[in-house]
Amino acid sequence: MNRPRGNFAVGLALGGIILFLGFIAPFLYPADPYAIHPAYVLQAPSLALPLGTDELGRDNLALVLSGGFATLVVALPAAALAFATGLAYGLLAGLAPAWLDKILMRLLDVFLALPSLIVLLFFASLITLNNTSLILLLGFISWPGLARLVRNETLAQRGRDFILAAEQAGAGRFYLARVHLLRVIAPVLVVNGTFMVGDTIFALSALSFLGLGVQPPKVSWGSLLESALNIIALDPWWLILPPGLLVFGSLLAASLTGQGLLRRWGGGR
Amino acid sequence: MMGMVLRRAASSCLSVFILVTLVFFMAHLTPGGPAYSILGQKATLASVAQVNARLGLDQPLLKQYGIWWWHLAQGQLGYSYLLNRPVSALLWGYERNTLIFYSIAIFLSTVLAILLGLIQGVYFNRWQAKLIGAFQLGFYAAPPFFVAAMLVLWFSVQAGWLPASGITNLRAEHPSLGAYAAHLVLPVITVTLLTVSPLSRYFGEAVHEELGKDYVRTAQAKGVGFTRILLAHVLRNALRPLVTMLGLSFPYIFTGGVIVESVFNYPGLGWLMWRSALSQDYPVLIAIVLVIGLLTVIGNLLADIVNGLLDPRASYE
Amino acid sequence: MSPVLEIRNLNVALPRGGAGKVSVLDHFSLTVAPGEMLCLVGESGSGKTIAALSIMRLLPPGAELTGEIRLGGQDLAQASEAEMRRVRGKRIGMVFQNTLAALNPTQTVAAQVGEAWRVHEGGSARAARARALELLGEVGIPTPAARLDDYPHQFSGGQRQRVMIALALACSPQLLIADEPTTGLDPLVATQIMALIARLRRERNMAVLFVTHDLSVVRDHADAIHVLYAGRSVEWGPAKNFFIQPRHPYSEALLGAVPRLGTARLQTIPGALPEPETRPPGCRFAPRCGYVQPNCWPDYPPSSCAGDTETACLYPLGTTTHQAEASAAPPSGRSFPLQLEARSLTVRYSNRLALSDVSFSLGRGECLGIVGASGSGKSSLGRAILQMQPYGGQVMLNGQDFSVLRGAAKRDARRRLQVVFQDPRESMNPRMRVSEVIAEPLALQGENDTTARVAELLTSVGLSPDMATRLPATLSGGQAQRVAIARALAANPELIVLDEPTSALDVSTQAMLLNLLKDLAAQHGLSYLLISHDFAVVSYMADRIAVLKEGQIVELAETAKLIANPGDDYTASLIGAARP
Repeated sequence: MNRPRGNFAVGLALGGIILFLGFIAPFLYPADPYAIHPAYVLQAPSLALPLGTDELGRDNLALVLSGGFATLVVALPAAALAFATGLAYGLLAGLAPAWLDKILMRLLDVFLALPSLIVLLFFASLITLNNTSLILLLGFISWPGLARLVRNETLAQRGRDFILAAEQAGAGRFYLARVHLLRVIAPVLVVNGTFMVGDTIFALSALSFLGLGVQPPKVSWGSLLESALNIIALDPWWLILPPGLLVFGSLLAASLTGQGLLRRWGGGR
Repeated sequence: MMGMVLRRAASSCLSVFILVTLVFFMAHLTPGGPAYSILGQKATLASVAQVNARLGLDQPLLKQYGIWWWHLAQGQLGYSYLLNRPVSALLWGYERNTLIFYSIAIFLSTVLAILLGLIQGVYFNRWQAKLIGAFQLGFYAAPPFFVAAMLVLWFSVQAGWLPASGITNLRAEHPSLGAYAAHLVLPVITVTLLTVSPLSRYFGEAVHEELGKDYVRTAQAKGVGFTRILLAHVLRNALRPLVTMLGLSFPYIFTGGVIVESVFNYPGLGWLMWRSALSQDYPVLIAIVLVIGLLTVIGNLLADIVNGLLDPRASYE
Repeated sequence: MSPVLEIRNLNVALPRGGAGKVSVLDHFSLTVAPGEMLCLVGESGSGKTIAALSIMRLLPPGAELTGEIRLGGQDLAQASEAEMRRVRGKRIGMVFQNTLAALNPTQTVAAQVGEAWRVHEGGSARAARARALELLGEVGIPTPAARLDDYPHQFSGGQRQRVMIALALACSPQLLIADEPTTGLDPLVATQIMALIARLRRERNMAVLFVTHDLSVVRDHADAIHVLYAGRSVEWGPAKNFFIQPRHPYSEALLGAVPRLGTARLQTIPGALPEPETRPPGCRFAPRCGYVQPNCWPDYPPSSCAGDTETACLYPLGTTTHQAEASAAPPSGRSFPLQLEARSLTVRYSNRLALSDVSFSLGRGECLGIVGASGSGKSSLGRAILQMQPYGGQVMLNGQDFSVLRGAAKRDARRRLQVVFQDPRESMNPRMRVSEVIAEPLALQGENDTTARVAELLTSVGLSPDMATRLPATLSGGQAQRVAIARALAANPELIVLDEPTSALDVSTQAMLLNLLKDLAAQHGLSYLLISHDFAVVSYMADRIAVLKEGQIVELAETAKLIANPGDDYTASLIGAARP
């Protein structure tokens, strides 16, 4: 609400920084995240170790960078998968005859009947967790919200005069979807696609934090926080702040960018 | 209007039924199965078979499914594999904790959201609203595990003011009410901070939008003062989205935000769900899915009813 | 007798965009005597609503107001907010348009009417309720006691306007400001509301400031007329003189643009209303005026007086020119070869019959008007003809029954029928450029190079081909409607269904559009099915008129015969409402 235009730029910049840290910085900072140094356990940040070390003496900066890569490499494809599924499903339901729409929406209601984290947790407990299965799981659980939005938007647009006029001029369903609907709902799609990236990053971090996401020995932001919390009595603030701020920053970036676009184009979540 | 509300509730119940069925079959079709979680991955085939027989898992799947419903009809939700206790008793114990914790948090969030939203709607685009807007933006994006961790770090580890986890002081024989309360402070603050942000934001937007509507100008033209316009006219019309959101957050009262409960080791339903997921304790998981599904239905039902009372037009929509 | 309201030299500036304030109303002076009804007339953008809101000091935040607004002895322009609260509702009552939005949807009418009284008079809730009952009875709500606890949405549009009036009258104000109270109502209902306001002001000797864009509603009741154009007064004086002899060229053009029974050709005003930022320094009407002289341009003309009428024009009109009701009635008895036939059309929504057993035929080159109030089924009729919705019965185009057509054949047949909708902005994809909008029917028929044809179509509807690259949001209502007509023409249709094509437009724009449609029909041999609630518009356009009421045709006859000799009471009352 009433945030200046500058926030959109801040969101984009923040997003750029996160992408840099996740995909490029790991190659620039050569330290091995998994090398254990018993002599340097729980060191506070210093010039040599910018983010200190964890309880096994591992270089925390290397861990955080590697955790970022592990997080993004799952969350981004998952968001893309969920986006494509949601869009296709929503358009199909919105343009389908009423009986098919009814069936498709009933199925959607099943997915939306519970808070998504509960469903995620349940399915994550069933499967073997690796990158591919996590992408599929997150992609599979995250699309129904978008599908419903696209379907409602499609239905709302379908009754509008310009669609009726196009039909009167001989337009078929596929033409309507391609030429009119996609163009009108494009802002909604871009905005919600941006939000979706934030959602999957959060979902993956939450799962990892609960021990059902990225599995050891690989680390992710969520699992780093979880292990820091186990020794929180020792006041390891340098282990909590970096991964926490990075997840926060990613969500903030998605939120600011999405709202900036929303402001520019209109369209609801 | 009641007819429409009930029809929607019935249709949501059907969704829950399909979901529970889906969850049941997914759980029982997974390779490995609970026997391995109980006995460990190196268990012998014989001992696995023995466990399966004891748990009734050697029966045909459809029969197990039928038995599950038969037991449910009698008020039983099966036995936890790991804790070896009836699931229904287990659920109630944890649910009570969550209920206490979350009703306080939701109550605080609602009151705060109404206050902040009113300020934000009235002072739209002024510094007061911008300040609240910045707060909302921050906590809207803040991940709960991070907020909780920072609160523990500051108030419990560094300042030593409040306990970091659990529900009460374990060493005391008869824990005082004060000890319970102290353990609730940080979880409640965490959840309130995170909940108040979206609630107040939607409500603030609604207040601002309502203030721009024609009927407000009509009331002004009648000579009605601003405070009365705000409280007698705008408030009621702006409450609808807030009530809908509260209805949606109703299931969380019972699941208790899995994450927050896990950070604070607070033994609520969310914590139970988490532990059960980690150890593949399916009877508990399925029961929780059922309970939360039904609570979601009830939450939406309540929101529909309250909105129907707030807005006489609801029955026409 | 001292006036109730006296405004002297009022200037209002509104914040616009980020770039400071823009003057929207200036040098505005006006006097209303006790018991007088003064009509403030102007098209959208004239500043008339701003003038009304200024009196109540209900301008949007950031507005700047200078001048004097005297109510009795008090200058409202200087009054504090607390003082204004004692004026609003107590000494000045205000009635707004669009009552569905202007009344609180979640309060009963008793509460809302009662509040207006209680805020000023105090008193118990029970007394307020009794007062509300009394007021609802006075404004003619049938069985008011039974309706006290109803909510606004449970009333019809006309009744809601009555509730609104009751609310404004709660404390017996000396002055009633009515801001377009009849807009959006069916003409018959509008006439009744007008009569109600006239009756109330007689009974209460209450002054009324009536703000409207529609000269025809005020003709019978106004004592004085004050015409605004682009934020300045152009003419003001007694209503009697005004309707006989308007003095300002704009007033004359405005009167000539209103369709009336028997008008052969509507007058149009070229050009468009200037935006507040681009108003000419001299007479603001000069760029569009037919009588303009070089010395109209540099300075705003001083007002001159003739009889009791004052005019801000250097060359006020003196003698009647073409107001003499050029009563060349439309030629009747033309015969048309049969083109479209509807046989016992029936449209049913889930629990309601919108159209039952309607039959008619339409000839090639003919314009058939469908008149009816809202809810009469006229829109359903149009949609059924266009095959936009399921219906019972038959629609035959050139002898070909639509119900037996499938697939491509049906699509081709449908294309012969095109449509122009009421809301010009809704009828275009907001993200398509004008050229794409018009080219769409061409592209759907497989034409690839459409540029030349689009330019040609734009020219034929009176738009410049440069418009092709514009987005719909940058078009005025009239321009957008022309683009919609161009799109309909692009499909090369035989029949165009015009569904309230001008009801969202100002009268002067409406006049241009109606004339354009007439010319296009003559050029292309088009047939029209014109659907409207406005009998005058239909009678101007149509060869034959069908009167629709509650889903049935009560009368269908040639226009001239129908007007001269209505065979049905309902038709007669519609004609009565349209007759000046």
